[in-house]
Amino acid sequence: MNQCYGCETCKSADKPLENFIAGLPMETSHHRVKGQSVKCGFGLKGVCCRLCSNGPCRITPSAPRGICGATADVIVTRNFLRAVACGSGCYIHIVEKTAWNLKNTALNHGEIKGHKALAALVEEFGIDASLDEHAQALAVAEKVLNDLYKPVWEEMELVEKMAYAPRYKKWKELGILPGGSKAEVFDGVVKCSTNLSSDPVDMLMTCLRLGISTGLYGLTLTNLLNDVMLGEPAIRMAPVGLNVINPEYINIMITGHQHSLFTHIQKRLADEDVIAKAKAVGAKGFKLVGCTCVGQDLQLRGVHYTDIFDGHAGNNYTSEAVLATGAIDAVLSEFNCTLPGIEPICDELKIKQICLDLVAKKANAESVEYAYEKREAQTEVIIDKIIEAYKERRKVVPMKLQPEHGNQNTLTGVSEVSLKEFLGGQWKPLIDLIVSGKIKGVAGVVGCSNLTAGGHDVLTVELTKELIKRDIIVLSAGCSSGGLENCGLMTPEAAELAGDSLKEVCKTLGIAPVLNFGPCLAIGRLEMVATALAKEIGIDIPQLPLVLSAPQWLEEQALADGCFGLALGLPLHLGQQPFIAGSELVVNVLTEGLKEMTGGQVLVEIDPVKAADQMEEIILERRKGLNI
Amino acid sequence: MKRIMIDPSKCDGCKNCALACMDSHRMDGGNGVVTLNFTLPETEARNEILNDGKGGYLPMFCRHCSVPGCANSCMSGALKKDMETGHVMYDEKRCGACFMCVMNCPYGIPKPSADGTKILKCDFCNERPEGPACVAACPKQAIWVEEV
Ligand code: SF4
Ligand code: SF4
Ligand code: SF4
Ligand code: SF4
Ligand code: SF4
Repeated sequence: MNQCYGCETCKSADKPLENFIAGLPMETSHHRVKGQSVKCGFGLKGVCCRLCSNGPCRITPSAPRGICGATADVIVTRNFLRAVACGSGCYIHIVEKTAWNLKNTALNHGEIKGHKALAALVEEFGIDASLDEHAQALAVAEKVLNDLYKPVWEEMELVEKMAYAPRYKKWKELGILPGGSKAEVFDGVVKCSTNLSSDPVDMLMTCLRLGISTGLYGLTLTNLLNDVMLGEPAIRMAPVGLNVINPEYINIMITGHQHSLFTHIQKRLADEDVIAKAKAVGAKGFKLVGCTCVGQDLQLRGVHYTDIFDGHAGNNYTSEAVLATGAIDAVLSEFNCTLPGIEPICDELKIKQICLDLVAKKANAESVEYAYEKREAQTEVIIDKIIEAYKERRKVVPMKLQPEHGNQNTLTGVSEVSLKEFLGGQWKPLIDLIVSGKIKGVAGVVGCSNLTAGGHDVLTVELTKELIKRDIIVLSAGCSSGGLENCGLMTPEAAELAGDSLKEVCKTLGIAPVLNFGPCLAIGRLEMVATALAKEIGIDIPQLPLVLSAPQWLEEQALADGCFGLALGLPLHLGQQPFIAGSELVVNVLTEGLKEMTGGQVLVEIDPVKAADQMEEIILERRKGLNI
Repeated sequence: MKRIMIDPSKCDGCKNCALACMDSHRMDGGNGVVTLNFTLPETEARNEILNDGKGGYLPMFCRHCSVPGCANSCMSGALKKDMETGHVMYDEKRCGACFMCVMNCPYGIPKPSADGTKILKCDFCNERPEGPACVAACPKQAIWVEEV
């Protein structure tokens, strides 16, 4: 069943994309959903354990314990902790590489584009502001790296500086202040190995520690360090969707999460001698085509390099369609959400695959493992290889361009800084709108896209529509934003879909009802907005009329992010349960018990209307709590 | 008359059939494995996947036999073969919990309930129009329904 194409593909909220994929002469992930539709119930509920050679053990009425005696609660939490630790590891890898890039940039007196971002970090970290900018950047990078490499028993120094004080206090009370980020991941995976921890509650607390470390370092700091090197986000209108692919250029699809790895390449592609090379083979020059989160990141900072970046084409499960247009000549990948399924497509369409980071090595890709000191030579090699591919393939590969797909006026470049600037340098206008009820509340619709919550982006889009209809403004980050923007929800015209008062707000301000923060890393930015609002009002985060949803969470990283949201005390909606339903205890702690601890809670609901009902109810409760 | 056919060589032992059976016979009104309690003895599956000892599996499903050992040994008339459907059906109210059926089924299908007051046995999903739940859930097509 898996081998057939042209048979049934899954639904997508993006109908033109759905039709395009259904008509493709090659198999994509959308074609494989049906063949994988029978799910193993034990795996689904997290009660399958294969931590030792006695396994796999599965929980049934006649076998309520694994051979070793592990109960459903133990098996579920061990599996969950393992996923959270892996997810955290992914984000910590990203911030580690980013911090090294900043350190090397500083040491080599490279370009610093985000002067304000650097100044803000210098102030926050308590670094001597009289140093020159490179020395400041070096100090920032070193502080981050020092923390990342601390042992698990030594608290990271920047946590207290970055976290909102009432939260820091709470985390201290609960004993979940993280030690060194890398060591936390290490201890996390040790804890859930064979016959180690059998205390489900302790393991869940470890998940929260990992969440804090992931959220503050993996998410928040990655954004801010990138802002220093690559420039700060600026609000503007940009095109999105498959229409951004221009066949007159040599096109490079980029996938991953590590924007700083592209710093040198993206600069070189705009140089005259490189453009001349492209012209020599019949192209007008080079373009980067955004795909997955690193594309979102480029779009967010797009104002700094409009010459080589036209726009974001789509999210993780749009990548096959981007390739299928025929106009992509190479895939430069550096991290996850680079689907294994693109390999046969790249082969068939003679698309060159190059990997910049071996943790995400693709089988057919050539590896050019990025190293700061080798970057200049590496960039030249990469450019030449891509030109070679362009020459080979353009004569023989048919084009299936989709010039009508997507839209031209998606509002992008929203960040904790650009949004505040947009509001006139203060949060008060937004708070006033919330207090007056013109905006009922705020919902962060974040995280990945998957194919199983109704189909590609289906739940994300439906839920978002439900929320804005109820005058709840939506902030989005991650592949969810890739779907929402291609479906037009981030255009000013989408205001028509909002409830009357949110519509009026959008029209007055000229904004969309869904604000685009870009990549999943920017969930950290969104949480900075939450913190800023709470600080301004003088309350703690769990009192805000603000809810979080990862309707179509996909990866382990999303679970680590989610744990940060829970540590912050935010209600977190998920479309599908994260393989925990087999343990009553875990379900109870995450959906109820946590409320008493951090203020957070998990809601699982796959129906968009019911989910929006529950989220609205929480918002209304919180408004009542604040007497507004 | 319909029967479940089995190709043991295709079975991977995933027990999706067992979960589907539990789900289709649950008593809390819910639906779908995500909300199914895997540990309630009352919802024990009416099928069984055995290890064949040679690296493979033996899916054990009620044969709804032409000469049913279970019904023939049932003194109280709780087990009866329905001549129209050909399925061997169980009437809990008439069951004396003597477990003669458990002893007499050559395939070990009827199971005493956890509280010892009745048995659990395949009812062909009570002839639901979509057909047996186990068959629909098998990702390997190791079991299927055939007209006999
Ligand atoms: S990755 Fe997960 S969902 Fe995919 S086949 Fe493996 S276990 Fe199943
Ligand atoms: S660790 Fe325990 S539950 Fe897991 S496979 Fe081994 S015996 Fe089974
Ligand atoms: S329970 Fe056993 S004896 Fe009775 S019909 Fe089923 S397979 Fe035959
Ligand atoms: S036919 Fe129904 S009752 Fe019989 S084993 Fe299959 S699922 Fe269970
Ligand atoms: S569902 Fe099919 S493959 Fe899985 S155990 Fe049952 S018969 Fe075997």
